[in-house]
Amino acid sequence: MGRSPVDRFIDLIEVTAAGFLAVVTFLTFVSVMLRYFFAWAIPDSYDFTRLLLGILIFWGMAVASYRGDHITVDLLWSASPPLMRRAMDVFSALVTLLAMTVFTWMFAEKVLNTRADHVGTFDLRQPVWIYFFIAWIGLASAVLLLVLRTVRLVMSPGKLVSHESTAVE
Amino acid sequence: MSTDAAAVTGFVALFALMMLRVPVGIAMGLVGVLGFGYLIGDITPALKLLAQSPIRTATEAEFAVIPLFLLMGAFASASGMSRELFRASNTFLGHLRGGLGIATIAACGGFAAICGSSVATAATFSKVAYPEMRQHGYPQSFATGVIAAGGSLGIMIPPSTVFAVYGLITEQDIGKLFIAGIVPGLLAVAMYIATINLIAFMRPHFLPKTPRHSWAERVQALREIWAVVLLFIFIIGGLYAGMFTATEAAGMGAAGAFIIAVVRRKLSRADFWHCLVESLRTTAAVFTILIGALLFGYFLTITQTPQKVTEFLTGLGFGPYGVLILIMLMYLVLGCIMDAMAMIILTIPIIFPVIKTLGFDPIWFGVIIVMTVELGLIHPPVGMNVFVIKSVIKDVKLSTVFYGVMPFVVTDILRLAVLIALPVLATWLPSHM
Repeated sequence: MGRSPVDRFIDLIEVTAAGFLAVVTFLTFVSVMLRYFFAWAIPDSYDFTRLLLGILIFWGMAVASYRGDHITVDLLWSASPPLMRRAMDVFSALVTLLAMTVFTWMFAEKVLNTRADHVGTFDLRQPVWIYFFIAWIGLASAVLLLVLRTVRLVMSPGKLVSHESTAVE
Repeated sequence: MSTDAAAVTGFVALFALMMLRVPVGIAMGLVGVLGFGYLIGDITPALKLLAQSPIRTATEAEFAVIPLFLLMGAFASASGMSRELFRASNTFLGHLRGGLGIATIAACGGFAAICGSSVATAATFSKVAYPEMRQHGYPQSFATGVIAAGGSLGIMIPPSTVFAVYGLITEQDIGKLFIAGIVPGLLAVAMYIATINLIAFMRPHFLPKTPRHSWAERVQALREIWAVVLLFIFIIGGLYAGMFTATEAAGMGAAGAFIIAVVRRKLSRADFWHCLVESLRTTAAVFTILIGALLFGYFLTITQTPQKVTEFLTGLGFGPYGVLILIMLMYLVLGCIMDAMAMIILTIPIIFPVIKTLGFDPIWFGVIIVMTVELGLIHPPVGMNVFVIKSVIKDVKLSTVFYGVMPFVVTDILRLAVLIALPVLATWLPSHM
């Protein structure tokens, strides 16, 4: 059975963000090597790396929101009957959706203000708003995917697997 | 509503949301922004925080240390370095009574040196060491208990994601924190091995011996782990010598682990992407909490919660060590219901001022906190490592793992006491940086 357009969309976001992580790693490695062996720094590598980090985090948040990868407290959830679990999942998705919608709205203002202020990177004066805008796309995707997640949780919860919390330590 | 009442209401709302399974970071951000808006009597400045604070956190160059060290650990796991480490330690230690357990602890210690995650270490050795131990007749409780305990070394021996997060929140030097973890980490390895020896001494027929390996086999096994050793020396040596920052060390480590894996033909294209995606997911989960915590921090600041908690705790008359023990007990209780990373990010902004007021060394306290978290990873009822082992080894009962890990819980409590009595064990190495 082929993957649905939503699944392909989420895979695309995930793989692209993962690619950004590869670029951040590569840049960090190359910057250190160039500094030690050639006493030279790639122009804007510092700004580029940190802005890319911001993008990959916001895009990663979109994926985490949809897949339910966020860290949660499962004490009550795991002790609840299936119906209660479902109700908690829907409530949690709605609260997350509300929070992410307001966040996305406010960050859109930030993108516009950064553009209006002509904020540039340190070396090459590249416009920072473009990076912020790409990061914003991640947030907007998160909102879209959260709507889908909430609808799926209500209509067909079987399509979404609700995970135990992600452990990161 | 008074500021104090608002603070209490904020904390109640936060815990209620978390109990209803709202993601920890989202709950913290929501309560932080709404609480801040309520107290200043205008929601607009509070909403403006959403435009400024998250992107500032996400684009903080220092914070790249988290995804990069996660990636290093993912490459190390995927390329089978854990198996080689276990094989090497087994050839040297496996013939002793309980030797496979000792070899597991030693290999976990080695793997922790290239992987900053306890959960990853426990999961990896559940696949690598458990079948070997069971094949040689080791009891299920002991085998899983050793792996749970050994896994907890992942966050103590540098590099460590928990140290990195603690350093970022408290603005302590992450390099110093990593270096501070070396001696307590080695002490943990030594004390776990001593625990196994004690078990073997008290119950000689409980733990079998395996045949001694030849020196040819040992030399061959050592040849396979030289790259891992070199990578650790390069990263930690570079940090200690001040050659690079923690973020650069993480980048070099991730690239180094990748290069080693590719040169040895142990990393397929699919593995490569899997490592990136896995690191990305964990990064997103951690940063959501970090961003939420920073937003919650505005609420804490306006309610002056850290100052009030400091005043309250120091006014109890228990003395610095009494307050410290109280704080650690709180962490142990919280560890029963919360993920360790979430617990640290939520509580450190409140507890850290107390620690500074009491005159404790922040680097040493970082080690103490990580040790408390280590303990939380294995103690009942929700030791995360125990659940991870259960998820990998399907035929084991949770109660069996908890039974097996209990001797190591006692060891951890003893080690905590040693570190409190002798802070120099954590502070001596970083003081020479």
